[in-house]
Amino acid sequence: MPSPEDISQRIEAAIPGSRAEVEDYTGGGDHFRATVTAEAFAGRSRIDQHRLVYDVFGAEIGGAIHALSLKTLVPQQAAPQPQTAEQPTPTQ
Amino acid sequence: MSSNPVRDLPMSPGQPAPPEPQGAPSGESNPIREAIAEAIAEHKVILFMKGTPEAPGCGFSARTVAALQSLDTPFAAVDILPDPRIRQELSAISDWPTIPQLFVNGELVGGCDIVTEMYESGELAQALL
Repeated sequence: MPSPEDISQRIEAAIPGSRAEVEDYTGGGDHFRATVTAEAFAGRSRIDQHRLVYDVFGAEIGGAIHALSLKTLVPQQAAPQPQTAEQPTPTQ
Repeated sequence: MSSNPVRDLPMSPGQPAPPEPQGAPSGESNPIREAIAEAIAEHKVILFMKGTPEAPGCGFSARTVAALQSLDTPFAAVDILPDPRIRQELSAISDWPTIPQLFVNGELVGGCDIVTEMYESGELAQALL
């Protein structure tokens, strides 16, 4: 039975640069809800964005994974990331 | 990216075409697939769901029906539960793994997540015009 962490790791491994937050919303290990943020979604329709994620799991969707509810975002749509200390220091 | 089932076939230019994959239903007569394609073509708004609008068999189907009903949209509904081949063939046509599936003007709009998102943003009402 996949865990939310498994699902999240598989999405992030399959879609380069993606971030996936996954919860098991029934606690039963087969109904998951994922919010996936990826640059790869840019310029794609919602349908195609969701297909990219569903394609990671193939026939498991509807099988071991009874439901995978999706919300897909391109990074600009997601909440802005807090600035980190790695910001380059302006010179002079 | 095309999610066409033929994408994994080896395509090397100059080589003879690979033999037809075994068990591939394409090209064969497939009455269920044809009936589904016909239903999609014939109805402006058609929902493939578990159960019926009056008695949905799944929360996702129920939510999708509720969105359509609250927009007063007339729609055709097909219950996929009586025969597992309906779901199989539908997903083969639409390249979409889950139920429900809403089609408008012959195009897949989405499943419950997308329909709900579009309902909330007002896009669904636009798409149904």
